[in-house]
Amino acid sequence: MARFTIAGQTFELDPQRVETEVAGELPDPVKEHYVVVNGRRFPPKQVIERVTGLDRADFTTHQARRVLKRLGFTAARAGEAEPAETANGDGPYGGRQAAALAPHAGKWVALDSPDHVLVAASTPQEVLSWLARHERTAGYGMFRVPTTPDETEGIAPR
Amino acid sequence: MRYDFIELPGAESTLVRPVLPVQIEDLEEAPQLCLVDTGSTANHFGAWVADAIGLDLTGVPESTIRVGGLVTSGRSARADLTISGRRYDAPITFCEPWPLSFNLLGQEGFLRFFRVTICAAEFWLDVEPEAA
Repeated sequence: MARFTIAGQTFELDPQRVETEVAGELPDPVKEHYVVVNGRRFPPKQVIERVTGLDRADFTTHQARRVLKRLGFTAARAGEAEPAETANGDGPYGGRQAAALAPHAGKWVALDSPDHVLVAASTPQEVLSWLARHERTAGYGMFRVPTTPDETEGIAPR
Repeated sequence: MRYDFIELPGAESTLVRPVLPVQIEDLEEAPQLCLVDTGSTANHFGAWVADAIGLDLTGVPESTIRVGGLVTSGRSARADLTISGRRYDAPITFCEPWPLSFNLLGQEGFLRFFRVTICAAEFWLDVEPEAA
């Protein structure tokens, strides 16, 4: 447990609490900075707002990033390569797309390019709602990332 | 119009499949990635899609559907699909449950309207509307 002062208030936070608090949250669109929590990219201010109850206007992205980095979360800028996204394989994107989709197995996803997941959620309705709320378009498409080959091609005997 | 196959994460290796984006009615913000299924007679979509576009299937007769080794229930209706820039009125069977990851594009609702070239060796498919 670590103690932080944000917007004049003191909070005791630990990584597990952060992960629990955002587990049911869909990440807002990432503009410039993000942190990786439970394998998903969140705007830092969204995470700190969620775990502290503060209004986003009460603190800066820099403060939010600093707190989350101290708690051990990866923080980066959009456009920077994330270490976990190493691609290796066949296919038109050399495995890059499969690597981007792998953390979202079993989830409904909307993508704006072959390897950029805008949102991943448990139901297609959540994805549609998120797109409408944030006025975003899944230019590449949406579908559910399969957890087994059967979910891709059926379960007929091979 | 050419589309690259999709790469899917697999347990041992990457899975590549021929899919293309399909706009359903006016759901522009969320085109559905659909699998080209040359062995399927009809288009088969998850029933949630009908709900999403406000297509009321109340009273539409339900039938048993067998696809990909799956037995499910389906209701058939018509809806506008837009593929490769062509919008057309297509027959679709909306299925529930639908455990597959993709909606399926079959012969009567897709292939008869488009000329499709598949090159699995290079992971792409070309889709051109047939002459009207």
